[in-house]
Amino acid sequence: MHKCNLDVEISKLSKIEGHADLDIKIRDGKLEEVNLKVMENLRFFNQAVVGQSYAAVPQLVSRICGTCSIAHLTGCIEAVEKTLAVKPSKQTMILRKLTVYSMMIRDHALHLYFFAMPDMLGIDSLLDAPEDKHDLIHEALAVKEAGNNLSQLVAGRAVHAPFEQVGGFSHEIDEKKIPEIVEQLKKIRPTILKLIEIFANCDWEFKRKTNFVALVTPDFSFLEGKIKSSTGEVIEEKDYWDHLHKIVLPYSQATGFEFEGKEYMVGSLARLNLNKENLHTDTKRDASKYLEKFPSENVYDNNLAQAIETLHSVDHSIELLESNKFQKEEPAKPERLTGKGAGAIEAPRGTLYYALEIEEGKVKNLKLVIPTAQNLVNMKKDVEQIVSGLCATDAAGVETRLIASLLEKKIIFEVSKLIRAYDPCMSCASHFLRVNWT
Amino acid sequence: MAEINSKKRVGIFSLTCDEGCSIFLTEIFNQKLIPWLERMELVYFLSIKDKTEIKDLDIALVEGVVTSERDKEGIEKIRANTKILIAMGTCAMTALPSGQRNNFNINQLKEIEAHLEKYKFLSKALALKEVVKVDDSISGCPIDEGKFIEVFEKYL
Repeated sequence: MHKCNLDVEISKLSKIEGHADLDIKIRDGKLEEVNLKVMENLRFFNQAVVGQSYAAVPQLVSRICGTCSIAHLTGCIEAVEKTLAVKPSKQTMILRKLTVYSMMIRDHALHLYFFAMPDMLGIDSLLDAPEDKHDLIHEALAVKEAGNNLSQLVAGRAVHAPFEQVGGFSHEIDEKKIPEIVEQLKKIRPTILKLIEIFANCDWEFKRKTNFVALVTPDFSFLEGKIKSSTGEVIEEKDYWDHLHKIVLPYSQATGFEFEGKEYMVGSLARLNLNKENLHTDTKRDASKYLEKFPSENVYDNNLAQAIETLHSVDHSIELLESNKFQKEEPAKPERLTGKGAGAIEAPRGTLYYALEIEEGKVKNLKLVIPTAQNLVNMKKDVEQIVSGLCATDAAGVETRLIASLLEKKIIFEVSKLIRAYDPCMSCASHFLRVNWT
Repeated sequence: MAEINSKKRVGIFSLTCDEGCSIFLTEIFNQKLIPWLERMELVYFLSIKDKTEIKDLDIALVEGVVTSERDKEGIEKIRANTKILIAMGTCAMTALPSGQRNNFNINQLKEIEAHLEKYKFLSKALALKEVVKVDDSISGCPIDEGKFIEVFEKYL
């Protein structure tokens, strides 16, 4: 066995949301240290919301993250409503589901086509796809476009959606546009089935025993339900915080979380593992053979789970748009202006928890738990296992310098690929807690 | 070859922000990417590619604020390597909302000062034009679609 010393530094991981670096230290052929460094500069949202009006804060926290801004907006609105006893109407809840679905469609499509797929095709960027795969670029843009147009119809825009607010929506749906949007959604269905097939046929595998946690919703709409784990816990949304434990990651502008004292994974894979029964009937019918894969411990099945969720988001959106009449409504008003409350929703990358303290209409305190922050500890342990494995299987007897460079390449490829499968969002990960350095 | 060489070399860069403008740009791309690729080559856009270089750029689109030494070095490097630098979105143009710490009161500042020091933040978050020469800008949070197309196509 050779004794290889290697420092692998990945500066600015690409094809993820936000900035992260990774340092791996190998000494005498053994993994010594993995440092996953979230390099996003903090923008201090926890401080910025203090003193702001409850009505303005959802739009403010929407700016935490560009790609899942609708998740922050919706999650914060839910927490405000629970804190101030605002009761959204049935129509508002339908519009919220459509808004969240529109985000899932375009956000998952961005990740699957542009972030994950290049590794499968052995290319750097989807734009470099060979001629015979060029239809994938067009398909990627068409799926995203359908999600984007649904956002526009229901919430006014895909990023920092202007219509969604505490108590309801400021604009009603333009009913004349519904048939066109439904037609677009129906048109991308076969494309998404092809996408599911692509990721179902992917032979990547990485397994490590871990716990999965997700908000389990009765219609798989990501909004209201109970938080469940693969180890059997069932928790009310408001109590989620009590089951979490903060982990400081050195050299990083973010901290991680443990659930019940152990690392865990949130996101599409967790949702499919814990709630596949509640997917839309049409999704279950057309994706039945792929759904047999779940529950799965293979981290790469997170990609397949995202593709299936994209189909569900399309199917349920079509049903909601076709079976409801939408009318102008006044937003529901708060019953009180002081209180404490919390709410959780499922963001594209997992459970997003908001807890608020509001005094006379002004925010006094905000706590939030972000999906990527919850995945950081699990991700780091996965990286450690992959790197240890690669070090151990590395052939002995070949000239060490050569091996080191091959090993480095292999580590960078495998580790980047694995981290991408989590679909991490570093913009989000660097904003959650009040930072106490003292 | 002549045709390839005549394509504009474009880079899309994110300083400190939520990356909402570049995400929204990927939505503008749904309709526009294919025609634009006839006239441009994307040489830097970490969201969709790994092999990138900051060199001989024709157009640099930059979102976010300059909040740390690292951001400052980044924008100076971009400026030195591009013909046209476009500030993309309200953060890049005015330092807000991502530079919201600039408006913090004394109590809020006290809470963050240790972090600012540890990660070499500048004393204030800056708009791009406070650090380098900016050739054009596109307003909005996120960028306005019509305005983006109008400004970008001027240089393409």
